[in-house]
Amino acid sequence: MALFAFFQTILLLVSLSLRTCQSEVLSEPLPLTPESLEVSINSAQQCLHLQWRVHSLAYHQELKMVFQIEISRINTSNVIRVDYYSTTVKWNQVLQWSWESELPLECATHFVRIRSRVDDARVSEPRFWSNWSSWKEVNEQNSLGHKASSVFPVDKLVEEGSNVTICYISRSHQNNVSCYLDGVRMHVEQLDPNVSAFHVNNVAFVRETGTNIFCEMDPKDDAGTVLFVSKVLEAPKDFSCETQDFKTLHCTWDPGSDTSLVRKQPYQSYTLFESFSGEKRLCEHKNWCDWQIAQDSQEMYNFTLVAENYLRKRSVNILFNLTHRVRPMTPKVFFKNISATNATMTWRVHSTGNHPTLLCQIELHGEGKVIQQHNASIKVNGEYLLSELEPDTQYMARVHCGDANHFWKWSEWSGENFTTLEAAPSEAPDVWRDVKSELGNRTVTLFWKPLSKSHANGKIRFYNVIVENLDKPSELEPVPIPAPANHTKLALDQCSYRIHVTANNSVGTSPASVIVISGDPGNQVEEERVNVTADGFSLSWKPQSGDVTGYVVEWCDRPQDGSCDLQWENLGPNTTSTVISSDAFRPGVRYNFRIYGISTKRIAYLLEQKTGYSQELAPLVNPQVVMSNLTSHSFTLSWKEYPTETQRSFIRGYHVYLKPKEGQCHPGFEKAALSDNSLCCKYKIDKPEQKTFVVENLQPESIYEFFVTPFTSVGEGPLDAFTKVTTPDEHSHLLIRIILPTVFCVVLIMIVCYLNSQWMKEKCYPDIPDPYKSSVLSLIKSKENPHLTIMSVKDCIPDAIEVINKPEGSKIQFSGTRNSLTETEITKPAYLYLLPAEKNYSGPGPCICFENFTYNQAASNSGSCGHVPVPPTAPSQRGLLTSLENLLKALEKNYMNSQGEIPAGETTLNYVSQLASPMSGDKDSLPTDPPVPALCSEYKMQMAIPLGLASPPLSENSSVSSVTLLDQGDHHH
Amino acid sequence: MLLPPLSPGDPISPAEPISQAYSLALYMQKNTSTLLQTYLQYQGSPFSDPGFSAPELQLSSLPPAAVSFKTWHALDDAERLGRAQGAFQALSQHLQLVGDDQSDLNPASPILLAQLGAARLRAQGLLGNMVAIMTALGLPIPPEEDTLGLVAFGASAFERKCRGYVVTREYGHWTDRAVRDLALLKAKYPG
Repeated sequence: MALFAFFQTILLLVSLSLRTCQSEVLSEPLPLTPESLEVSINSAQQCLHLQWRVHSLAYHQELKMVFQIEISRINTSNVIRVDYYSTTVKWNQVLQWSWESELPLECATHFVRIRSRVDDARVSEPRFWSNWSSWKEVNEQNSLGHKASSVFPVDKLVEEGSNVTICYISRSHQNNVSCYLDGVRMHVEQLDPNVSAFHVNNVAFVRETGTNIFCEMDPKDDAGTVLFVSKVLEAPKDFSCETQDFKTLHCTWDPGSDTSLVRKQPYQSYTLFESFSGEKRLCEHKNWCDWQIAQDSQEMYNFTLVAENYLRKRSVNILFNLTHRVRPMTPKVFFKNISATNATMTWRVHSTGNHPTLLCQIELHGEGKVIQQHNASIKVNGEYLLSELEPDTQYMARVHCGDANHFWKWSEWSGENFTTLEAAPSEAPDVWRDVKSELGNRTVTLFWKPLSKSHANGKIRFYNVIVENLDKPSELEPVPIPAPANHTKLALDQCSYRIHVTANNSVGTSPASVIVISGDPGNQVEEERVNVTADGFSLSWKPQSGDVTGYVVEWCDRPQDGSCDLQWENLGPNTTSTVISSDAFRPGVRYNFRIYGISTKRIAYLLEQKTGYSQELAPLVNPQVVMSNLTSHSFTLSWKEYPTETQRSFIRGYHVYLKPKEGQCHPGFEKAALSDNSLCCKYKIDKPEQKTFVVENLQPESIYEFFVTPFTSVGEGPLDAFTKVTTPDEHSHLLIRIILPTVFCVVLIMIVCYLNSQWMKEKCYPDIPDPYKSSVLSLIKSKENPHLTIMSVKDCIPDAIEVINKPEGSKIQFSGTRNSLTETEITKPAYLYLLPAEKNYSGPGPCICFENFTYNQAASNSGSCGHVPVPPTAPSQRGLLTSLENLLKALEKNYMNSQGEIPAGETTLNYVSQLASPMSGDKDSLPTDPPVPALCSEYKMQMAIPLGLASPPLSENSSVSSVTLLDQGDHHH
Repeated sequence: MLLPPLSPGDPISPAEPISQAYSLALYMQKNTSTLLQTYLQYQGSPFSDPGFSAPELQLSSLPPAAVSFKTWHALDDAERLGRAQGAFQALSQHLQLVGDDQSDLNPASPILLAQLGAARLRAQGLLGNMVAIMTALGLPIPPEEDTLGLVAFGASAFERKCRGYVVTREYGHWTDRAVRDLALLKAKYPG
């Protein structure tokens, strides 16, 4: 108490002295200790707010003082900050000071203390610090609440690029703490057993919805927070204001980055502040704002544009005179007096000001390009004559204006389209013709090219064609041909005609194009080959004498499909060469170019004719080769020429390929490899006009393979199949010469022999008359005696019997092929009876012989003859013996079938009349005898064969017997 | 064809509401994983990291679906349906909360918001079906509870993201459990 009373006394004395010596310098030190220190926390801003008083000050006393503030973290000895705060302190004043902690205040306990010192000039030295206030503890860890762990700061908003410290608090001690910022692990520093922290420098903007931060540790206890990183607010750029009507100032700027964050920070705001008027306006738009101009004619404006978000403010300033920021309004444009080549443009600029002088720019656009530019100085209304325009052309003219005295900006462009009027076509159409003569008449097709836009001067409606007969003057009748036709056909006779062609639009007629069709059919010229360059067909021709007014080169763009598509090019009289190119030209197509000279009388006469390919291609087809004159040593190949139109290149000759025999090529041929790598012999024909080739030195009876293909500068034709040819035998023709006459002779002899045999037969052994067919019979019948008839053999009573003994067991070998029948033993007696011959066969009278031939009982029983179904055959032809033998075999077979047996007999030529005897039980009878029809003996008819026919040259005995048998069968009646 | 008149006192066959509830639960089951994946995709790392899972995260206001099989199997109808009904009641409210959170945190993600809204409607639908089954079985219907209470507000953005994760995850788990619950009831009360 004593001390307190002492200080009170001192203080009172000081205050008294101050009152009494107000202007005097304070000479005594004042121990003014800060008191009533209170510390509070703003978690969101991470700020410590300090409040204190200096109670020791006298009433109304003001004193400059310095306060020293110490901040410790976690414990008082860990001082992390020492700050000084100077201010003038008044009596009873509550002093405040704030400090923003980089570490979230929730993360650690903070301690604050303060002391002061008088820093007033009125107080004399020595100045000393007061005592420290007591430590004030600031602990926000209870913000953990019920949670086991947390990460701070919570949902903090920071600017991109700033530094942030994050802490992780847990109730339990932390082990192995890992923290992640948007998935990236951070370096964590442990502040105390329950607190870890990490720093994020230059934090980046990731997304508008914030950046996740989360921490985990052992034991498992996760926590996280979201850091909202905003882009840095930029100062507005290009800030300017202008007026068009002196009523509104239109201010614009470029706002730069959008700093808004979802639900955390709205888009930055913009505020306009005008310092002269002191008015302020919050702008509704991001990049422009309208400012109403006051009526008091304020000239000068000082605008400040302030951009602001939760984190910072940025501002820009402009100062200007209103009259220097005038942008004229958009002009209104009209056109008048539009003609084919001129147009007058008028415009008006609306202005509410004092009608300043305006500078205007006029632009004329044609086909999208600026073709004219003009300047004009006006007040309100402007007018400009646009000249040198093209007829029937659409243009666009536009204008913009600016203040001529204090130019600020051009107004917006204002423009309109207009089209000039049409004018008569300025040039004659380019006309050419195609003349085709047929049966004394000529069909002339006139072609013309459409006039270019610059020459047509409008839409061409029709073309007038006037045909003037130069030989017979007559009235000229123009024939209109509606556009867009580009040709017309005229049927003309052999007279000369002058043709005029004009193009017409709605305004007028073009100059006439004149062409003369001469009655002279024209000359023929040799066709030459044309040179081809990269640019096209290079044509040149000999210059003509002086009466040539020009040249025309004509060609067909499409010769390949027959449509021709005639093209032509006009060239001046001094030109003697040109290069023709066309997109229609195709490789492998032959183009013909005809060069005409145009005389002063407008007659075209053919000068030269050229042909060529833009690009030659290898042939696609080979000629059809015909082989002729084939001999055993040579043959001739010939082929026809291709049609010119189908040639894909100039044919330079032909290759004749011949497949080699035994690896050797014929003379003149050389070895060559084909495209299929096979070896071949090749003969080269250099002359394309040669279409035949004789392949010589061949071997008879050999096979040769050949193949002919054309060759060109770009290769030869395709590899086709080889044609085979076989050379004939060397002697075959001789054989033909011999054999044919021989055969002819033989046939002739045969015919003669046949005729001769007929004659012989008639002479030597005519046919035995048939008694039944005898005229005697009819005579008998006429006498109506039914008992009178031809004697039947069976009615005869034998008058003599001749018994012929034949040795038993003898066998008769009938023929080489006979078998069982020949084994029959003939033991019974035979009866011979001579009768006159009655058979058809005739022979020489004295030589008639009759064979004792086989008697067939079956035949006799049947009462009819055993017809052997073998056709009669002309005998005695040696050449036919073989076939006769065959026939004989067939005969034997049939004979056996019909008669069962042929009795063996003597081969002597005796006529034997036989009497059949009862042969029942006779084992020597023919084995296949049928039952005996009658007990009486019968006399059978026999056959005879002429000896002369049956026995030709006697050297052939076997043949004799065969023929005998044949005749036997033939005459079994 | 005459239908017998229905009176409130008449017991209704539980087979039909069980069948309806079962069909709805099966349909919901097809969409739960999609909802969870969509939700996580919009939350940023670590939620959107592949294979993200935090089973330790729970919400006290939301009963977990996980239960031991023995316990689950021993449940009687009333307990089984009562727990499911309570869970879907809580889920319905929590899905509303998560939808609000996400319209705040991810306003520019209509797909997520639509899926959350659809999930909430389906949860309500299944809840209605459960009540119908309980009615059919003559079981008492528990009164509707405000499961959220006062916990919804003041959460940090990260907590709200976690909350949404737990809700969408548990929605899937409870749907899986409901399918099994209803399959068991379906077998018990065949139509």
